[in-house]
This record gives sequence, structure tokens and C-alpha cells, in this order.
Amino acid sequence: MTVSEVLIQGGPEPEIDPEPSTGEIAGRSPMRIAMDRLRSDKVAMVCAGVVLLYVVIAIFAPLLCRLFGVELRAGTPDDTDGFNFPVIGPPNYGFTWAAPLGLEPNSGNDLLAEWFYGARTSMLVASVSTVASTVLGVVLGLIGGYSRGWADRVLTFLTDLFLTLPFLLIAIAIAPILVDRWREQPALLDNASLIAMIAILSVFGWMGLARLIRGEVISLREREFIEAAHVLGMPTHRILFKELLPNLVAPIVVSFSLTLPATIAAEATLAYLGVGVTGRPSWGQTILRAQGWFEQYPLYLYAPIVGIVVLVFALNLLGDAIRDAFDPKSFR
Amino acid sequence: MLGFVVRRLISALLVLFAVSVAVVAIFTYGPSDPARAMCPEPKCSVQRQDAIREALNLDQPIHEQYIDYMTGIVSGREIAAGTEAYECDAPCFGVSFIYRTMVWDDIKDRIGPTVSVAIGAGVTILLIGVPIGMFAARRRGTMADKAVIGSTLVIESIPYYLFVLLAFLYLAVSFGIFPQKGYHSFTDSPVQWAWALVLPWLALGMVNASKYARFTRGSMIEAFNEDYIRTAKSKGLKESKVVYKHALRAAVVPIVTIFGIDFGALLGGTIFTEKIFDIPGLGLRSLEAVTQSDLPVIQATTLISAAVVIAANVVVDLFYSVLDPRVRVT
Repeated sequence: MTVSEVLIQGGPEPEIDPEPSTGEIAGRSPMRIAMDRLRSDKVAMVCAGVVLLYVVIAIFAPLLCRLFGVELRAGTPDDTDGFNFPVIGPPNYGFTWAAPLGLEPNSGNDLLAEWFYGARTSMLVASVSTVASTVLGVVLGLIGGYSRGWADRVLTFLTDLFLTLPFLLIAIAIAPILVDRWREQPALLDNASLIAMIAILSVFGWMGLARLIRGEVISLREREFIEAAHVLGMPTHRILFKELLPNLVAPIVVSFSLTLPATIAAEATLAYLGVGVTGRPSWGQTILRAQGWFEQYPLYLYAPIVGIVVLVFALNLLGDAIRDAFDPKSFR
Repeated sequence: MLGFVVRRLISALLVLFAVSVAVVAIFTYGPSDPARAMCPEPKCSVQRQDAIREALNLDQPIHEQYIDYMTGIVSGREIAAGTEAYECDAPCFGVSFIYRTMVWDDIKDRIGPTVSVAIGAGVTILLIGVPIGMFAARRRGTMADKAVIGSTLVIESIPYYLFVLLAFLYLAVSFGIFPQKGYHSFTDSPVQWAWALVLPWLALGMVNASKYARFTRGSMIEAFNEDYIRTAKSKGLKESKVVYKHALRAAVVPIVTIFGIDFGALLGGTIFTEKIFDIPGLGLRSLEAVTQSDLPVIQATTLISAAVVIAANVVVDLFYSVLDPRVRVT
């Protein structure tokens, strides 16, 4: 074990809250205690509301577009003037309900519709890949921590290997290859880049959690209830998923809630670098196109930036609050 | 100590080997057809593509291709592509599909700018992050502490590249305080080199520094609670000596470790920094190669940066064992 591993493995431990609640002894699960703590945290609740709003926008993007009377469409030459500026709305004309965020210079696409659908792309990619990387991290961490022999060594090596790789460089190198390969299958044609992006973000997102889980399992596996299960002849997969897993809920939830914003940011970064999801609106790509116009048409640039920053900020604060809620040592 | 160094080097070589195998495999099996990527349909006939395939050894089994590639890096090799043959001297990373030039000649000048950005940003991180963290730790619980830590949280929530992008758009383009473009090599003119890179360093450094500020604060506070700090204070040592000599020494160890792990991320961070500031580094070349499907170039940049990260990790681990005497035992 290297030095860095020892340092990283110190994570929040799932322990039962020692503080007694107003004299009355009631059996409350650690999950319940954490939820109660979270519910009384105002900042966390506001952030949860913001995140919920984004989820609603992502799910009901088509409906919202109809509500605002905008649509996702390819602009026509009539939408822009000789200088490629839109003929209605900002930056040259006032606010108009026909295009609340204005039209995109050059193409004439509606920016509000792009924004709604961009939220959808962002949330879809981030949530699916965070779920996938969490599952991967939990399974690999459980196996690594519980098996004492070569499996653990191989998994530790793999974890170190993936942590060593410069993520962004590898991602921009692999993304086009995966897209190229998957595009040939008719079933994946339109979604090739979406699936490639999810695959890349999942494959590079599991290491932290795997290490955390491995460390937890190594300490848990020596406890009596695991020994008892073992002696009773419980099959290993049952020990892993029925005995160990419930004890690991806290680190998993915390890791999930902190990985999600990081994934959203990573997706937007890759889109900005030009290897993100293609064929559907994405905030990162809008930022890339808008950056050259920022002096003439700041709204074009700021709509997606505000979208990303507010979402990531809310998710980060929520994640911190969740971590505090699960950590019996923290008092607010 | 020697045993530790040897073991660490062996494990680094193993990782390097695994990475190189993975990179070669990905670029050989990954694209549905490298020959077509090199010379697409209307330009090349199917026969011509077959010739390319043969010339590039694409019909050979993967392990032979791997050995070929690695031999090329160590001692050079000859590459035949169609009717043309290239003498590729060591270190040979193949021939660019697009420019038909040696990949190494193409990218060797790109390493300097990337390393300049990464190291400068790394220094900035430590120079900004650690003092701020120490400041907050010494005033823990006060308004100043809360303000500092609160603002680091806000900065950290802005995705990394947006922060750099906004810094570029405002400080370089709008207000023109910093130069927009133009990289100068260090050997040409150190002053111009530094001046052109100040904003990239600050922008990239600031985002990461916020994390280090919180980290430093945490480990300093932990160190302040140790018995030996109390002993040092009760001995009547000067406050500054206790802080800078006794507490900092213990607090800096975990910071160095995290820094080593982060170096890979920092190298990744240079990609969009290079793109935003138009610095002719490895990342920019890699991005260009990606849009052109220039596989040998992508393969080389990926391999080189992985090697740099691995080397950085080894250096940090060795440095670490010097800093912390307890580590040396293993």
C-alpha cells in the first residue's frame, strides 16, 4: 500500500449518532438521522429546490419550449442580418417573447430552447454516468476489500493506474474513436456520442469511491457480524451485498452527491473542447461558440454559463450538506 | 530507503507498461479502420488502403505491433507507407497521417509550453493556497476565517475551465491588462515568457488554490492540536517559529501527497488553458490531431503525458519519504 492510499482512505464512517434525542429512546436508522439533519438545514433545502428545478426543466424540456412558444429548430437565413446578428431580440433589439433569450448569431437557432435542451443533455449524461461509476466503484471496492489475495492486488493496481492517467487527455483521445466505432451500428447512430460520453465519464469516475469502499470493507470484514455470516455458511455474494453493503450507504451517498457536480463540469469541459455530445444542444458547445461574441452579445455566453455554475454550485453545497448530515462528528 | 526507491520505480514501470499497452491497443483496435482514418475513401482506393494496412503492420498481431512501436521509441525504425519510406529516428512515435512528418519532430517543441504552464500553475497553487490556508487556520473561527473559506467554496464551484475562460475574456480581451496571445520560449526571453504566462498561471492556479487553502487549513488545525505544538509553545518558543517550523512541517506532508495526485489533473487543466490562451503546447496539438483523426499524434501525446504524470508521482512519493521520516521504514 502506498502512502497516498493511506491518506485517502480516511473517509466518513457510518456510525450511529451517539446523541440521545430528548430523553426518549427511539431506534432511528443512521439514514433517518441523516435525513432529519438534512431537512433542518436551510441551505441544503434551498439547494435541493434548485436542483429539483433543473431536473424538472430537463425532464419537461419539450413542454417548457411549447409553453414559451419557442422551438428547437435550425435557423433560416431570414433570422440573421448581414452581420450575422439576429434580426429580433438581443443584442440589437429589445426583449421579445418570440425569443426570450434571443437567437443565436450565424445560425439563428433559438437560445432558450437550446438552453432547456442543454439542461437535458447535461443532466442526462451526468446522472447516468454518475450512477454507472458509483455502481462500478462499489462493486470493485467490495470485491477488492473482501478478497485478500490477488484480486485485491489487481484491483488496487487498476485503481492506481486509472488515477495516474491524465483524464482530459485520454478522454479527448478516446471519444472520437468510440464515436467512430459505435456510429457504424445503426441502433446507436444518433446516440453514439452520447453513449461514448457516458462511457468515458463512467470509466474514469469510479476510482475514488472504490478506494473508499475498499478501506471501509477491510475494517468491516473483521467485525463479528461478518464472521458470523461467514460461519453460518452464507455465500460470499450475500455477505457482500446483504451484510456489507447496507453499512456502506453513507459513503456511497456522499460520494454520489459530490461526484455529480464534478461530472456535470467534466461534461461541459469536454463539450467545450469539442469532443462532447454532438447532434443535440449542449451548454459546453454553446459556450464554445459564444465566446467570440461575448463583447457584442454577452447574454449568448452568460445563459449557459449561469446554467452550469448555478447547478454545480447548488449540487456542491447540497453534497457538502449531505456529507455533514451523515458525519456523526460534525455539529452545526 | 534504497529498497523503497527500487520498489517505487518498479511499480512505476509496471504502470507505464500497462498504460503503453492500453494506448497501443486502444489506437489499434479502437478505430474501426485506421487505414481508412488515414486515407479516406474518395482519396484512396480500397487497394491503396490495403497497402497502407500492410505498410503500417496493421495486419500483424497486436503484440508484434506493440513491440514494433516500443522498439521505435527506444531505437528508431523504418516506416514504409505505401510507396514512401520514412527513416524514423529514436524516439520514433510514428508518422503523422496528415502532415507526413515525424511525430516526435512535430511535438517535441510542444512539451516546453505545456510543462511551463503546468509547473507555473503548480507553483501558483502552493504560493496562494498554502499561505491562505495558514492564515485561516491561525484565525480559525473568526470572521476572516469564515470569509476566506466561504470564498474558496464559491470559486471551487465554478467549473475550472469557465473560471479560466472568464479570466481570459475579461482580463486579457476586454480590459487588456494581460497579453492575449503569444508564447515565448524561456530560453529566448525569460521576461516575455513569464509575462505571457502570468494570466494562465493565475487563472489555473487560483481555482486549484482554493482547494489547497481548505486542505492546508484542515491539516494545520490538526497539527495545532498536537501535543508537541503545546510543548513547543510552553517552552516559550516564538509564535512564528511554532507555526512555520513545527506545525507547517507536519501539515505540509499530506499537501505534497495530494499535489502529486493532482498533477495529472493539472496537466489535463493545461489542455483547455492552452486552447483558451492559444499556447502551442501538447494539449493544443492533441486537440488539433483529434479533429483531424491523426492517430499517431494522439497516441504519442497521450503516451507522453501519461509518462510525465507517472514520473511526477514517483518524484512526489520519493520527496514525501524525505519529508516524513516515518514513511522511510517501509
